This record gives sequence, structure tokens and C-alpha cells, in this order.
Amino acid sequence: MQGSRVRLRRFALRDRLISIAGSLLGSLLLFATVAHADGILGADEGKLLMTGAFSDISGSAGGGLVPMALITGYGSQNSWGANAHVTDVRLHDFNLLSYGLAAAAFDRLELSYAKQQFDVVGTALDGISIRQDVFGAKLKLLGDAVYNQNSWLPQLSVGTQYMRNEGIDDADHVGHAGLVSPTQLGARSDHGWDFYAAATKVFLGQSLLVNVVGRATRANQYGLLGFGGDLRNHYSFKPEASVAYLLLQQLAVGGDFRANPHNLSVDNQRSSFDLFVAWTPTKNLSLVGAYVNLGSILAPVTQVTRTQDGPYLSLQVGL
Amino acid sequence: MIKSFTAFSLTLVLAAVGGPRNADAHAATLYQQIGGEPKMRAVVDDFTQIALADDRINFTFAETDMKVFSRLLFEQLCNITQGPCRYTGRSMLEAHKKLNITNAMFNALAEDLYAAFDREKVPYRLQNRVMVLLAPMQHDVVKVGAGPHSTIGPTASASAPAPDASPPSPQH
Repeated sequence: MQGSRVRLRRFALRDRLISIAGSLLGSLLLFATVAHADGILGADEGKLLMTGAFSDISGSAGGGLVPMALITGYGSQNSWGANAHVTDVRLHDFNLLSYGLAAAAFDRLELSYAKQQFDVVGTALDGISIRQDVFGAKLKLLGDAVYNQNSWLPQLSVGTQYMRNEGIDDADHVGHAGLVSPTQLGARSDHGWDFYAAATKVFLGQSLLVNVVGRATRANQYGLLGFGGDLRNHYSFKPEASVAYLLLQQLAVGGDFRANPHNLSVDNQRSSFDLFVAWTPTKNLSLVGAYVNLGSILAPVTQVTRTQDGPYLSLQVGL
Repeated sequence: MIKSFTAFSLTLVLAAVGGPRNADAHAATLYQQIGGEPKMRAVVDDFTQIALADDRINFTFAETDMKVFSRLLFEQLCNITQGPCRYTGRSMLEAHKKLNITNAMFNALAEDLYAAFDREKVPYRLQNRVMVLLAPMQHDVVKVGAGPHSTIGPTASASAPAPDASPPSPQH
């Protein structure tokens, strides 16, 4: 009885979030159409298709689980770009909803914001949800992922993501009264900074995009379970990578890999990966469908050790 | 972890690189694979039409003799794809010096060329292999600091590839 009420409340919140994200995307799409028609505000949509990348789960330009050195949107070096995304990930016992906005200036600087809602939909913790804000900034340092086909020099960017965990909701309904913060699960902090460097190169001759990232992080499950932990509180340096084969100008298939730290005794986090299909029919719209595998989540607590994997769907509009 | 990472990357790279390949790719030049002179001339004709209809860049052709332009573009595409041609136009740097070409315009032209290749049903991976040869020209074509409000247009005196006003550039 109580469980179903929790579920109702949670779905109401989820519906609200989706409608907010929907209207956000709708207004941006409308804006993008108007901006495109009149070229107002100097939005030139001057970059090549796909070079605005996609939104990763934290809202930075990239794809899936991993950011790239590419700057969001389609504004060239004389202009600006923007992108809005809504991404839904359905795992066996967990769902992740992410939506947000990113803006770019001069194909050089990217600022992003993403809201994440992580719902437990299985195991004994069914009903709990965690919300998080992610603020991102990325600066392109040098190179160009596409033009320098006569050299190995990639596009190189550095970035940061500041994550602020808003806490755990509804734990009292599943017998964990008073559990309101990931710090009670062993995390040392409910907010934290990630720092990364990304190198992205399109090998046009092979129709291949390669992206390599090094990240300094203390985040547990992307920050959803806080930062630092009882096992380890230092920054870990972790590699990430993406490879995409460009089938058509509008269509790419590939995968992302991301290594993660293991800071918490209540969560045997390991590396995660995804395999994706990305479709960009126009510079104003893209869709990414993927299979994502995050490994086990909170297994020592839930006693459910199975791999948390499932579909990932992301819709993005921008200019 | 490193092992799974390596295996993961290798699988993807192999899957991608080992994809569909032309069996005679090692023998035929890119020019031949695309379809030789008839196909390349058709692409150039399509491109000229598409570019002239493209408001993002068509004003740069205001004073260009499009017949000469088409001939030079054909020569250039044929030449860089190892076809039996010699490019007799000016260098890219010389030809675009006065045009204030922006990155956005360079990319618009690339999109129009992709569209022309599409119209002639040239496979995307071959299109990209042509783009490999054209992309580095961005350094010579795009004027550093050229902005969206640069005054280009009717007063522009030349477009590229431009008529043969200077000695032919040496062949590769």
C-alpha cells in the first residue's frame, strides 16, 4: 500500500520532469527553427554535421557515458551554438533520467547543465530516488577533429564537471528511515569536481572517429552515490574512450568505454560501456539509441549482483 | 580493467576498419574507384548547381566564370584523387586571399560537395577519402579572423579555383 503510494509519487515526479524536459526541448526546437529561418542572433550552424557531437549523461558534448573534445552545437568559430537533451536509461533495477542544456561560444567554450534523476525500480530498495545537478565547462585548447587530415594531431579540450548531489528521497518507505544523503552510505561528500582532458580525431579516410579521455574523479556512480568513500577518498585517474564508425553523413555506430573508481564498500562499481547508434537527420535534431552496461550497482546492500544493463535513448535538439 | 578496455577498443576498431572494403582498393586509384572522368564531371556539375543555389556561399561566385570554375574544380578533384589530370589553377591560398572565407563557408562548401557526391551515388566512405585530401586546405582557404559580417559579395574580384592568372601550380 505504502509502496504503491511511493511509486505513484515517484511517477508523478517523473512525469513532471519529462513534461518540463519536453517543453524545454519544444521551445528550443521552435527557437532553433526561427533562428535558422532568419539567422537571428548570429547563430550560423556553420559546423559540419555530427561535429556538434551528442550529450553524454552528464550533459557535456560527447556521447553515452563519455565526453569528447568536440564543442556542443553547430556554431562556428564566429558564432554560438546550443543543445538541449533528454536521455532515458532503463536498467534492470534502476532508471536514469537526464535532461539539460548546453551552450557554446565561438566553437571554443562550452557551458552545460544537466539534471539527473536516478530511480530504484527493483531490489529491496525499490522506491528510492536520487537527484543530482551537474554543471560542466569545457575549453577547446587546440587542433581540429576534422580539418587536420594530414597530421595525427587531434582536437584537444579540457573540461570539468561539478556535481551536486541533492540527496536521497523516499528511503523511509523502504525501511531505511533517515537515509537522506549518499554520505550515509560511506561517501565522504555530497558534491565534487571531475576534471578531464579529451582528445578527439576523425580519421576521415577510414570514416572513423576516435576519442580518448583521461579523467580525475572521486565520483561514485557518476556522483549519484556521492564522492570519495570509506575505501578510498583520493582522486583516481581513469581512462575513457569512444570509437564511432561513420556509416553515412547522418549515421554513426560505435561504443564508449569508461573506467570508474571503486571508493565505496557498499558499491562494487567497475568499468561501464555502451554500444550506440547515433542519427543526426539535421543539425537541429539527433537521436541516440544504445545498449548500456553499468555493471553491478549497490550489490552489497541489495544482494542483487546482476549486471545492470539495458536500453538508452537520447533525444537532442539544438543549433 | 585495462585488458577489457584493450579488448573493447580492439573489437570496435577491427569491426570498423574490417568493414566493407573494395577488393581491388589496393590497385585502383581513388579516381577510378569513384568512377573516373564521367562520374567526376557529373559531381562537379551537380556541385556547381548546388553551390550556386546555396545562399551561404553563392555570393562568393558573383564575379566567377563558372565554366572556368567547373573546369578547374574538375582538374583539382581529378588530380588529388590520382587521376590523369593536372591542376592549372592558382594555389588555394592565392585564389582565396581576397575572399574572407569563414570556417562556416568552408564547411558549407564541403556540405555541398557531399551533396553532389550523394546525388551521383558515390559511396560515403569514398566521399570521405576525397574529403581527407580537401580538409587540410582549410588552413589556406579560411582567412583567420574572417567574421560573419565581413563584406564579401559583388565587389569580390575572384573565386576559387580561379581562372589561370598565375603560373600553374606544380603537379603532385
